[in-house]
Amino acid sequence: MARENAHIRATCVEATEFMDLSRKFRVTGVPKTIVNGSTEILGALPEDLFVRTVLGLPETDSPPNL
Amino acid sequence: MSLLSDQDRQVVREHLAAIQQPVTLLLFTQSIGAPETALLARQVLDELASLNELIRVEEINFVLERDRAEQYGIEHIPAIVLLSGDQDTRMRFLGAPAGYEFMSLIEAVLLAGTNDSRLLPESRALISANVTTPTDIQVFVTPT
Repeated sequence: MARENAHIRATCVEATEFMDLSRKFRVTGVPKTIVNGSTEILGALPEDLFVRTVLGLPETDSPPNL
Repeated sequence: MSLLSDQDRQVVREHLAAIQQPVTLLLFTQSIGAPETALLARQVLDELASLNELIRVEEINFVLERDRAEQYGIEHIPAIVLLSGDQDTRMRFLGAPAGYEFMSLIEAVLLAGTNDSRLLPESRALISANVTTPTDIQVFVTPT
């Protein structure tokens, strides 16, 4: 995603080496993704869902069936 | 001493053959009191650079070259910044990229060495339409 857009910075953090960061973001399992220091994504997601979650978008463009 | 077996070196070499432009791996560390993992990080990067002539490693002293650390927003070491040519790709690694992270590093080098993000067209469209302010993504991983 960083390669796609100049506003995006992507950092891969080795959690056991940086325990202070891991504690700060309450990393208890990996992979765990933190966006702008707040949004949390636990585990690996399919690409479309990951991108949407990082961007703060709904999971699909269509309204949910209620 | 090589970290990879001859067979693995060959596999990685073939994988990296797709690179079309120079990739520089900036390794931020320090000469005195560096974490043990900084040495491992250097070994991993040197091994990667030995597998493709377009890849080079530059070590930067985190203490003595504060301006460069600030330029790339580096606050912890060891840290790796990937440059494509002389352009910052905004891809970073914190810690030694061994184990699982080694595969991620190879993928990142491939991304830096080409101009293709390899994302789905739908993802590219969403990013283009929605990202207008600085966005910081941190992915926490472990070596195993």
